[in-house]
Amino acid sequence: MDFAGLRALDQVSLTLATGEIVGLIGPNGSGKTTLVNVLTGQVKPISGRVTIQDVDLTGLTPRAIALKGIARSFQIVRLFNNLTVRENVETAALTHGVRRRAAKAKADDLLAQYGLTARAHDLAGELNYGAKRRVEIARALAADPRFLLLDEPAAGMNEEESEALMRLLATLPAERDLGLLIIDHDMALIMRLCHRLHVLASGRTIAEGDVESVRNEPAVIEAYLGAPADAASHA
Amino acid sequence: MAGMKDTALTLVILIALVVALVVGAEIAEIRLFGRIATNLCISLVLVLGLQVFMGNSGILSFAHIGFMGVGAYTSAVLTIPAQMKGMALPDLYPVLAAIQLSPYIAILIGGLTAAVVAALVSYPLMRLSDAAAVITSFALLVVLHTVMLHWSEITNGPRTLFGIPKATDLYLAAGIAILAIIGAMLFRESRTGLLLRATRDDETAAGAIGADVSRLRWKAFIISALFAGIGGALWGHFITSFSPKAFYLKETFVILGMLVIGGAPTVSGAVIGVFLVTFSFEVLRAFEASLNAAKIFTGQVVGVTEIVLALAMIAILILRPGGLFATMEIGVLFGRRRQKASEGEKQ
Repeated sequence: MDFAGLRALDQVSLTLATGEIVGLIGPNGSGKTTLVNVLTGQVKPISGRVTIQDVDLTGLTPRAIALKGIARSFQIVRLFNNLTVRENVETAALTHGVRRRAAKAKADDLLAQYGLTARAHDLAGELNYGAKRRVEIARALAADPRFLLLDEPAAGMNEEESEALMRLLATLPAERDLGLLIIDHDMALIMRLCHRLHVLASGRTIAEGDVESVRNEPAVIEAYLGAPADAASHA
Repeated sequence: MAGMKDTALTLVILIALVVALVVGAEIAEIRLFGRIATNLCISLVLVLGLQVFMGNSGILSFAHIGFMGVGAYTSAVLTIPAQMKGMALPDLYPVLAAIQLSPYIAILIGGLTAAVVAALVSYPLMRLSDAAAVITSFALLVVLHTVMLHWSEITNGPRTLFGIPKATDLYLAAGIAILAIIGAMLFRESRTGLLLRATRDDETAAGAIGADVSRLRWKAFIISALFAGIGGALWGHFITSFSPKAFYLKETFVILGMLVIGGAPTVSGAVIGVFLVTFSFEVLRAFEASLNAAKIFTGQVVGVTEIVLALAMIAILILRPGGLFATMEIGVLFGRRRQKASEGEKQ
């Protein structure tokens, strides 16, 4: 994946199975969001492949990929601001062939789960940031995805909200039999929630595996804290 | 938006406006007022058609008046009495010369023809967004206008086409206007309408949930052209003679002005915009006429209406960029007020 001569992703290989939660972490600019954009078709890779159970999705439009069962949230929330909260959630069910009445019922269920029932008839644009994040996740779930990619789902939430969100996300994979990929900067949160971690730095994978082993990986410590040797030479 | 009740309330209010207009025109018994009211109802059909596409997709379209022309000419060719066709349309294809349908059927066929033309030409355009979409819709208007100017077999070229039977009266126009209000509202609340409004708010997010943006826009464009074609045919059977210049820039500007001032995103906005602009036009025209009669200025005063419409558009775009009804239908606003009032009582 090249951005005007700058290689944003290089030889990254990431797998996600249904039922598991994988954390995608790395310093700013390491290519996490670009990777999600490649997976969902917003950005086309120069080489490399995206597959679901051996079906090649590389180069498909975002729409086609969405219909294959991959849903996402965006780093900066993207809601349909002039639709109501309930209509926002309804849309994703409708695009996946759910009938009107069933889509409404499904939206109401999700709104209840995400504590949004009281706001169902408000315009999405009128919500605070934390609530908007929850609407975006509820909307993604209305499509019944097999894989859900969340780009910083807790950003902009206060501690209480992010705690509540964690509890909901933790049970998602088992409940809905989906694979969950989470990008976040909050290490404490990621370490607690994820089964596996994948660490990017400058577009390359520097570590992957279970939480404990990644945490102690020297390359990860270096990427996050800077190399001790470098620090010495600068001093 | 917030539910069936608000949609129903909105419909009741908007339809009541049209009914009040008809009753008012009947009571006034002034022929001029009857004409104004009929024209207003025809404008409602046209502007509501524009709202179906523009309001729900968020894409400005200049092509609409071209489809009005398609409807008007189709209906005219199908209804001009056979004995008059030799004079009115000397170059007409012999196959069509013998046809003489009832205007009511022809109006419907005019609308369907406009819809078919729109379906055939517009699909590639629906892939475009923003400035590119606006410019290509303008190009489409120019193409349609050029075809009307030069296809003399059907349109009598740039010359006036006359002999169209009068069939549109206030009741017919008002009836179709009410159907247009209901149709636009049903479309807005339909599955396609809802998803299209989602693409309007955020095209990227709509793609990411699997919405087929081009196809949604295409459907709305076809329905929009159906309204325009019916509106055009209705107008043709009211005015009974017209030339291609009736379907060009000035008219485009007027219906866009009505929609933008009222608020393109809502059906209420389209309706209120038509009422406001029509009535202020008439007041200004009377004002212009009295200025000229009083000979206050040495020359004739012309163009006051256009200038005021332009200024009103600029003012609205600065003060209320979405128009008077930018997001919520009139019924929802009333509903919210009721709700707030009852909450206030509880406290």
